[in-house]
Amino acid sequence: MTETLHRDVAALLGEYRRDLRDTSPSDDLDARIDRLVAGVRRNSPPAVKPQLRRAQFWAAAAGIAALAIGAGIFIGMNLQRSAPSAGLAQDANLLPADFSLWPTDSVALQIPAEYSAQGKLVAVDPNSRSTGKRYWIDVVVSNDGTIRIDRIVPAETNDDVTLQNP
Amino acid sequence: MRARRNFSRARCPNARDSLGPGLKHDSDDAKQMAMLAAGDPGALRELYERHGRALLRFSAAMCRSRQSAEDLVHDTFVALLRGPSLFDPAQGSVFAYLCGVLRHRISRHYRQQKRWVALDTGDETPLSHDRHSPGPADEIARSQVTAAFRRALLELPLQHREVIALCDLEELPYQTVAAILDCPIGTVRSRLHRARALLTLRLASLELIDLDAEPSLVHEGMS
Repeated sequence: MTETLHRDVAALLGEYRRDLRDTSPSDDLDARIDRLVAGVRRNSPPAVKPQLRRAQFWAAAAGIAALAIGAGIFIGMNLQRSAPSAGLAQDANLLPADFSLWPTDSVALQIPAEYSAQGKLVAVDPNSRSTGKRYWIDVVVSNDGTIRIDRIVPAETNDDVTLQNP
Repeated sequence: MRARRNFSRARCPNARDSLGPGLKHDSDDAKQMAMLAAGDPGALRELYERHGRALLRFSAAMCRSRQSAEDLVHDTFVALLRGPSLFDPAQGSVFAYLCGVLRHRISRHYRQQKRWVALDTGDETPLSHDRHSPGPADEIARSQVTAAFRRALLELPLQHREVIALCDLEELPYQTVAAILDCPIGTVRSRLHRARALLTLRLASLELIDLDAEPSLVHEGMS
């Protein structure tokens, strides 16, 4: 189908082709290409291949990912190490029943006492014979000089004043 | 008498001064492309020396002015400089690649041209860069017939014009043209057939040729 061509068209094409063949780049185009080459030589660093650029990108991404994973592991290990102490601190908060606000360096005394005729609880000689119902008054003397009565209990079982450390 | 000459196959010996099909040319081109990709801009100059002239011919056949043709060739080499590694030797020769780049530039150029209205469309044959110095373009301008032929060619749709320029004017083989146009060889053949028919009709309307001598060819082309 494309083998055929009108004779006159073929002649015109041939003539135009010959004219075109004489066409050559102008001095201006040559100069522009020269400037292009010179500009690249002067200004640009050597071109980096896209494959290399891609490899650099993936290397950077892998480095960042490795750093992130390392940081995660480090933080995780630290958290794991600090977990028992945190548990202990939490346990300490759960021990208010055994915890006392009073200073630990103190002395507790048990003082025998009986009710007097006036109805007041007064200290008595522990060696004297009991005339009425006797009580033990637990007195705590702290190292800061404060004294407090801890409790008063009936002395049915204990006969002696005892000293004890809290 | 019918002219049964296939322009795309009957090569003139000097038809492709820089487009020689030899393997040596291709390997040299590939070497220059590798050097360019490695950052040696001198390789661009070498490629321009080899292919610039043929690219300018193609561009001149496609464009209405010599200045536009040269601008587009320049843009093609700028694009080559910016992305030399886009060239894939497995897909074709360096020349085919450059032609493909130029073809896209031409297409874009005409899309942009549509936004503007030309003030003077009478003279569409300024192939001469310098009007004061005698040159090949002046000889073209002197030939009224050739000028009219050029006008008729420029009136063809872009895809028909480019197939005429590549097959009939540059005399490239169908395979190369198919690589440049990025289409099957069969498409090149059919497009060329239709382009020739349209050109024949247009030349006949300008009374540059006499259709009565071979009326069947035109009818065949329009089918």
